[in-house]
Amino acid sequence: MTPHFGLAEFGFLLRGLQWTVLLTLVAFAGGFTAGLAVALLRTCGHKGVEWITRIYIGIFQGTPLLLQLFVVYYGLALTGLKLDAFVAVAIGFTVNASAFLGEIWRGAIQAVPRGQTEAAMALGLHYSSRMRDIVLPQAIRISLPATIGYLVQLIKGTSLAAIVGFIELARAGQIVSNQTFQPLLVFGVVGAMYFILCWPLSWWGSRMEARLALASQR
Amino acid sequence: MQDQILIEMKGVQKWYGGYQALRDVDLTVRKGEKIVLCGPSGSGKSTLIRCINRLEPIQQGSIVVNGHRLDDSIKAIDVVRQDVGMVFQSFNLFPHMTVLQNCMLAPIRARRIGKAEAEATARKYLERVRIGDQADKYPAQLSGGQQQRVAIARALCMQPKVMLFDEPTSALDPEMVKEVLDTMIGLANDGMTMICVTHEMGFARQVADRVIFMAEGQIIEEGAPEAFFRNPKHARTRQFLGEILAHH
Repeated sequence: MTPHFGLAEFGFLLRGLQWTVLLTLVAFAGGFTAGLAVALLRTCGHKGVEWITRIYIGIFQGTPLLLQLFVVYYGLALTGLKLDAFVAVAIGFTVNASAFLGEIWRGAIQAVPRGQTEAAMALGLHYSSRMRDIVLPQAIRISLPATIGYLVQLIKGTSLAAIVGFIELARAGQIVSNQTFQPLLVFGVVGAMYFILCWPLSWWGSRMEARLALASQR
Repeated sequence: MQDQILIEMKGVQKWYGGYQALRDVDLTVRKGEKIVLCGPSGSGKSTLIRCINRLEPIQQGSIVVNGHRLDDSIKAIDVVRQDVGMVFQSFNLFPHMTVLQNCMLAPIRARRIGKAEAEATARKYLERVRIGDQADKYPAQLSGGQQQRVAIARALCMQPKVMLFDEPTSALDPEMVKEVLDTMIGLANDGMTMICVTHEMGFARQVADRVIFMAEGQIIEEGAPEAFFRNPKHARTRQFLGEILAHH
């Protein structure tokens, strides 16, 4: 006897949604911190360091995320490091996000006019103050639309975590669909959940973009 | 101590790759002196003053500012930058901060003075450049001339020994040039040591102790303004003055 899509199934999807949100938050928080480090190293002015971060970014942008998740989950297991599925995908997404956010912010840092840094140097401000007080506040504004856009991609991208057996929203939908034989209904609900998560962010992102465009006209 | 030497450049050479921007430049600036640097574009005059606060490194020669020799050490660069204020052609105010915050940041971060004192100093200098009533506005809300005066106040808040001006009126609409020049003249009358890269020859006549003419990275000629304008020695100087004065 096949179960119908009811409260229990909906609750199962909600738990999947919970994991999707949690994974996104962890990946974004980790990616935010590591990405900031990547962006700062990428623009530090030391040729060797810049070159290494460039390769780092190149590797994670140039290979499929799926492959990176495999490497973290199965690859590290081969070296004797057996990770919990959540920990493994969290690491995978964090590293991947650090490369993408690092590259977005690298561009934003370099988009802040050179004169800003020169004025700060002429005033005797050190690197840490130049970055914290002058460059980053302006770079963050410049990069906000792209950063939000990336966050939306990340939310949807977490569905790839299913590949190593992690049950997030998309995988939960697949399971429920297989049990109930009501794929249209189940994936309709799953899609709606993703949409409710992503759409407000996208909307906020384009509003920011419009506001920034207005501010730069002034 | 009227004779105290504040800046001493000796045998300064600078290259951008294969291009030599400064050739064997010697320059001594005493306390209280006002110097106007002029010359055609690409002559190295901006590069010269940007070397004094180490916005540009030099490859040969020496620069001593207020007794501190500029080398590659961060400490030396720090000490020198605290003594040297700079005003840029494009103002370079921090757009995300109010006028007041623009003026308070460096004293708080670099001189490590308290907020209240920094604010008092900032308000004092904003008054002095006659812009005290705009303290809470953002740079984008001000005219070009007002922005440049804020930039001057911001530099003064660090209480520099020398002020460098890099074509401070070149980006301004003509009707705003005077307010900035008046501010600079006021500063000069108060005894500030100044080096100005500018094509404002009226300002040079009125304020400068010495006018220096540069071409192709070299100091070609220098002298008191009267002699310099009336009787330039080098053909290159005469040609330049002819070109520039024809427009005034």
